[in-house]
Amino acid sequence: MQQPPNLFLRFFRWYCHPKLAYHIEGDLLEEYVARLKKVGKRKADIKFIIDVLMLFRPGIIRPTEGYKNLNTYGMYKSYFKIGWRNILKYKVFSFINVFGLALAMSVFMLIILMLADQNRYDQFHEKKDRIYRILSDYKDARQMYSSSGYPLANVLKSDYPIIEDAVNLTPGVGGDAMYEQKIADMRGYFTDPSFFNVFSFQLEEGDKKTALAAPNSMVISKEMADKLFPGENPIGKTIDFSDRQLAFPQEFDGISAPPVSWGSFTVTGVLDETKYKSHLKFDVLVSSSSRDILYAEKKLEDRTNDWEWIYRTYTYVLLNVDKNESDLNTALSDLVKRKYADLTSETAKEFKYVPQKLANVQLNVMSNDTNNRLPNLGYYVLGFLAFIIMLSACLNYTGLSIARALTRAKEIGIRKVSGAQRKNLIIQFLSESVITAMISLVAAIGLLLIVAPAFKNLWVNKYLNFELPFIPSVFAVFIGFAMLIGIFAGAYPALYLSKYQPVKVLKNLHSINPGKFGIQKVLSIFQFVISLIFITTSILIYNQFKHFLAFDYGFQSENIVNIELQGTDYQMLSNEFQSIPEVTTISACDIIPSGGMSNNNELKKTGERNEYKKVGILLGDENFTSNLEINLLAGLQLPVAGEASDRFILVNEAFVKAMGYQLPSQIVGEVFESKWGDEMLEVIGVVKDFRYKLLINEDGIAPLLIRNQPSGFKYLNVRLSTADLAGVISDLESKWKKIDPVHPFKYEFFDDQLQSTHQAIFDVVSIIGFIAFLAIVIACLGLLGMATYTAERKTKEVGIRKILGAEELNIAFLLAKGFLKMLLAAICIGAPLGYFLNNFWLQHFPNRVEFGLGTVLLGTSILLILGVLTIGSQTIRASRKNPVDSLKME
Amino acid sequence: MKKYQLGEFEEIVILTIGVLYKEAYGVAIKNEIETRLSRQVSMGAMHSALVRLEDKGYVKSFNGETTEERMGRPRRYFQITALGKKAIEYTKDTRDELWKAIPKVALDLKIIG
Repeated sequence: MQQPPNLFLRFFRWYCHPKLAYHIEGDLLEEYVARLKKVGKRKADIKFIIDVLMLFRPGIIRPTEGYKNLNTYGMYKSYFKIGWRNILKYKVFSFINVFGLALAMSVFMLIILMLADQNRYDQFHEKKDRIYRILSDYKDARQMYSSSGYPLANVLKSDYPIIEDAVNLTPGVGGDAMYEQKIADMRGYFTDPSFFNVFSFQLEEGDKKTALAAPNSMVISKEMADKLFPGENPIGKTIDFSDRQLAFPQEFDGISAPPVSWGSFTVTGVLDETKYKSHLKFDVLVSSSSRDILYAEKKLEDRTNDWEWIYRTYTYVLLNVDKNESDLNTALSDLVKRKYADLTSETAKEFKYVPQKLANVQLNVMSNDTNNRLPNLGYYVLGFLAFIIMLSACLNYTGLSIARALTRAKEIGIRKVSGAQRKNLIIQFLSESVITAMISLVAAIGLLLIVAPAFKNLWVNKYLNFELPFIPSVFAVFIGFAMLIGIFAGAYPALYLSKYQPVKVLKNLHSINPGKFGIQKVLSIFQFVISLIFITTSILIYNQFKHFLAFDYGFQSENIVNIELQGTDYQMLSNEFQSIPEVTTISACDIIPSGGMSNNNELKKTGERNEYKKVGILLGDENFTSNLEINLLAGLQLPVAGEASDRFILVNEAFVKAMGYQLPSQIVGEVFESKWGDEMLEVIGVVKDFRYKLLINEDGIAPLLIRNQPSGFKYLNVRLSTADLAGVISDLESKWKKIDPVHPFKYEFFDDQLQSTHQAIFDVVSIIGFIAFLAIVIACLGLLGMATYTAERKTKEVGIRKILGAEELNIAFLLAKGFLKMLLAAICIGAPLGYFLNNFWLQHFPNRVEFGLGTVLLGTSILLILGVLTIGSQTIRASRKNPVDSLKME
Repeated sequence: MKKYQLGEFEEIVILTIGVLYKEAYGVAIKNEIETRLSRQVSMGAMHSALVRLEDKGYVKSFNGETTEERMGRPRRYFQITALGKKAIEYTKDTRDELWKAIPKVALDLKIIG
């Protein structure tokens, strides 16, 4: 048969309303064939074309917005209604799903809160998109330094026009500010007027342009102003400042030293820093021009042209509007070529300056950074743990939905027969899982209200300062997140359930193999394996924590109070304290043993050509070892400090071995020389090894020498002989006030100090323990779901068995058998895995605790007990049902 | 307001459907109009009239059998509904009334003139 012009036929099919297309096309073709016979092909074709074109008119053209009812609101409404009804109908399963998802979501949401909190930092700077911090990197650096060379800012500003401005922040201000008898600890940066151009800190009082220009001027924080000038206007007032090298910006960035007067400073501005959330915290900003005077007086080391000393200056640059990061990179590499090529020190090897956007500063903590923040790795680890928990909860949803497919099979069949496409069914099941996720979200927010404060109370948060506020934008993220989880959890069941063929499910339900938890069993075993690993890990870390607490340090720390000298004379203070009857002995030292600090020296035997050996050094007075009850093995105690006795040192056993001596007595009287300084050191005695570094840092005990150099002492160790510690402390404090009325009395019990070094481990225990708890709860919920479902489905079987005389216990066991096998399988996989994984890190852990079968067994039995309780609760209930009830039900 | 909306061409189409009775499908209607009224009817005009009539509820349609020359496309048969019947009756009545209202003289004059 001859065809009408194909092009026009296709054109017709394209534009015609689908409802009309079929029969009009028929009419067209019929006409065409008739004309073909009457007038021949050419004319018939032309007429056909005219017909097609004449049909191109409104009413016949398909509507542009589609011919179907595009607003499928009604269908969605129905999906949600059905979803909601299904949730209400199967309350136990809904509860299991909602609760499991909520637990997992709350952890994820905690991380979202943390990130949201961190993202609020440094948002107030108007030019924040153009501000970069310059990081330093060199060959042997473990991590990039957040600090850079002192001259960098000035050279960038003068030599590179792509940079609008650059500011140099140098810590090194830390001491007592005095004004009319009032005194305050003040810590801060040296900086220049560019500070207010680059950053958008505003001054409450004073002029931003001139505040940091003149030498000896300072901008103080509102807090300082309130302390020193209550009720007065601080502008123009003069503060006397004595530097004590207080630690700043971080706790380990300094050593309290005796005060050195820096002269008087004029207050030129007040800055209310509580208004700003920034990674820069300070009490005071001192004008950089003040440094010249201090250089001249030799109170500060001149770093003006020192490119190698990159550890104490933070450089921030403000790029020109039309420049970008790659321009800055080019400029920096050019600068490095010019300035670092001729330098030879370790630091200058493969030296690099790397710009870091201000927006990335808060989340990417670098070496030497300006405050303590959770490093990136922390988020990854927490995120990974949260992900595992989330996965576990989603698997519960997936597994339970599929196992309960039977309840939905008929519905799916009917829907398909009435014309639902697979796509529609997928949307329906997804909307159900999204509803579940949304309900979980509400529950999770409730949980978060408990979890977030608990997290804030962790010991580490003292250093990390997470505030975790519920800001509105976070909720938007939460909702999006819940949607995502809903889709993720529901994806597999939706695809699986929508696959059913209506003929099969409607004709023969058993063809879909109901109630066999094939996939769910595998998922559940996986969940229990994970739980077991977490349980084992948290028990192990807790044991490690207890092991550290009970550790034998080699010295006695009970009843010792360590008092910070803060620059006062230790001899005077010690004499004053001696008069308190409860004080038994007093000694002094520069660092608290095992308190987290250590100093090193390098020594070799005088006259020999040996390599210098690295040894720890601790300054202690003549009473130090006896006060801490460290036994003397050979020789004598340190003599009283003085010119003649300065050369004498006490060494530990490790030192004896490191220097190649067999017996402690052999080293007494030997003379060593230090790599730095030409002094000779003579060993006067040998003490037993004791821990002086953090347990977590060092496995064995390294060589150590003790010298008696009163100028370096920082702490007084006061041994008390009483139970009434509080009373003695107040006595001590009143004595302190007599010697030093200016500074507050700072003390800590040695035991507490040692314990606090392990707080971080306890935090890890808390977090891992919590995760383990969540993992096991979720796994048990999944198991509960399966057990409940099995018990429900086998009601009749149980009834018949009972009538035929089966024992309750037998029935319970019969029902539980499959699950018990599963638990055993999980244990068989999880226990060895947990053992090996933990051994993996423990091997590299100093002073590790014994990790044997005991820990694994404890973890396993916890898991087993919880698992058996879960299964038992359902199976026993099912087996005790009266067969009459279960059999008559139809 | 007019009670029944029925355009001139629509009226012709619906009447033809009535004429054809059981055999009223696209091509047949077209041919019938063309032979009876000896005027060319385009496919487009007729089908859009049919769509309008159906939208107004004056006719209803159903798929019928197919033939070889239609290449499997079914015929769509149209039928006048009760409403459609009322509509054509109403139109006819209004025309009749108008006819009756014309004074005899007027028409006669026309004939003479």
